Amino acid sequence: MPNIAVYIEQSGGTAKKVAWQMTAEARRLVDRTGGEVWAVVLGDAAGAAEAGRHGAHRVFTASGDAFARYDAETWTRALAAFVAARRPDLLLVGATATGKDFAPRLAARLDAACVSDCVGLDFDGGFRLRRPIFAGKCYAEVAVEAPVAVAGVRPNAFPLFAGGGADAPAESFDPGLGGFAPHAAVVETLTSAEKKIELTEAEVIVSGGRGLKEAANYQLIETLAAAMGAAAGASRAIVDAGWVPHSHQVGQTGKTVSPKLYVAVGISGAIQHLAGMSSSKCIVAINKDPNAPIFKAADYGIAADLFEVVPALRDAIAALD
Amino acid sequence: MKIAVCVKQVPDSETRITLAAPGPELDRSGFTRVLNPYDAFAVEEAVRIKERLGADCEITAVTIGSDRAVETLKKDCLAVGCDRAIRVNEPALENAEPLQTAKVLAAVLRRGAYDLILTGKQAIDDDSAQVGPMLAELLDCSQATVVTKLELGEGVFTATCEIEGGAAVVRGSLPAVVTCQKGLNEPRLPSLPNIMKAGMKPQETLTCADLGLEIPAARTRVTTYSPPPPRAACRMVAADDPAAAARELARLLRDEAKVI
Repeated sequence: MPNIAVYIEQSGGTAKKVAWQMTAEARRLVDRTGGEVWAVVLGDAAGAAEAGRHGAHRVFTASGDAFARYDAETWTRALAAFVAARRPDLLLVGATATGKDFAPRLAARLDAACVSDCVGLDFDGGFRLRRPIFAGKCYAEVAVEAPVAVAGVRPNAFPLFAGGGADAPAESFDPGLGGFAPHAAVVETLTSAEKKIELTEAEVIVSGGRGLKEAANYQLIETLAAAMGAAAGASRAIVDAGWVPHSHQVGQTGKTVSPKLYVAVGISGAIQHLAGMSSSKCIVAINKDPNAPIFKAADYGIAADLFEVVPALRDAIAALD
Repeated sequence: MKIAVCVKQVPDSETRITLAAPGPELDRSGFTRVLNPYDAFAVEEAVRIKERLGADCEITAVTIGSDRAVETLKKDCLAVGCDRAIRVNEPALENAEPLQTAKVLAAVLRRGAYDLILTGKQAIDDDSAQVGPMLAELLDCSQATVVTKLELGEGVFTATCEIEGGAAVVRGSLPAVVTCQKGLNEPRLPSLPNIMKAGMKPQETLTCADLGLEIPAARTRVTTYSPPPPRAACRMVAADDPAAAARELARLLRDEAKVI
């Protein structure tokens, strides 16, 4: 009967969406196998109040000044102390910037199995985790062969809990930090001037490529994205050309994304781009060339001039309802 | 200053993975191998630091790999400015998991007092992004991951790290493990004369036994490789009238795909 701990990452006093996606999936699993789901919170526990509703059986919290600002070493030590005390079989950590920063460090400290970016979770006497490799060109099923595993979970891989969980009792644990001072820490967080939706967390993404012809035309992508409440992405070609910053790049050397809807505009569909977005639930391609490889990856296609279709699509979406 | 750059040879990003059916093996024989693109930013950053500091800086490139990896060390590391190379040649570590890799690299790194350890933010084959933070833990030192800007001071560093919707500035003491992201710099290409001369630079080949290390045990095992789930054929929307096509697409996305 596996017990699954879930690290609840918070941002501004609220838990990140991926945290509740993980408690939900863990709950669905232990409802079959037996075992419990434990939500683990470091620092301000405000965001953990609703953990029970999201599938957790119990909540464990550690507080203190040490958690006032993030650093990988403090988080590693605190969660290692939790694992040593409570012995969960699996610890799930969202594959966010913070999660990816400390989870491997924690696994090394615990000498645990470590599996990144999981999109599937199963148990048959041991954990079996499914994850994309080669940016999604292939999937690997990974068997855990260690007493404890740390697994990163990709945002949006799992739906939220619908089972209407009960209140989860909370108790505190000792993070074992007594006087610990990390070698390095975050001293400042800079947010982009524009309030943008993060690619890896977005439910809808509109991406542009070489078909836009010049940098100034990227605003067509931004306008359509804004109309759809979407994040704006880009192909490697236009990032390398300097039209948009690398943080927008989707593909094997950029972000790997799996939104509900991915709209590829003027993107031919190079293998390294397809690798980064082909796990999207629904893919739309808009490209003048009907033979562009992107149409092979798409669910819906319009083979026409993007400069005519994109503004029309923006109007058509605004006209819905 | 002593800098180590940990690099990996990976299939290039144009590689197609052909898998007829799910199975326990992945045929890697036809792959074209290159330096992991993120490791190229690490190599370049090390060389730029050396160019700033002058002779008082030595760069060691470290890899785990078969004889095939020698070319990467020579052409992509030594020929662009690394001073020496260390390769751990251990067939049992072919396709090793990140913690095995990190333990072996840590054993290599403990033999030199490195101030800065640079590597890519992830390798583009297994996409784990684990080795950097694991090394930092095993060496009990600072870490900064997905770094787009790095500044060094006397025994300290300041790194700008890419996070959701912005950046985090991490400051800490050296030694540090820094994982490099696109945007940190623009890697140079090796010149032909430098590739020729690279062969003269010291290159050491080790086994785990040389490091006084047993081959670390794996904690995970890939049981099945499978192709991505198949997609239905693309439904083309008639495009004679762009406005009508856009309206039809919006309708399909709402009523059929139910994604907007």
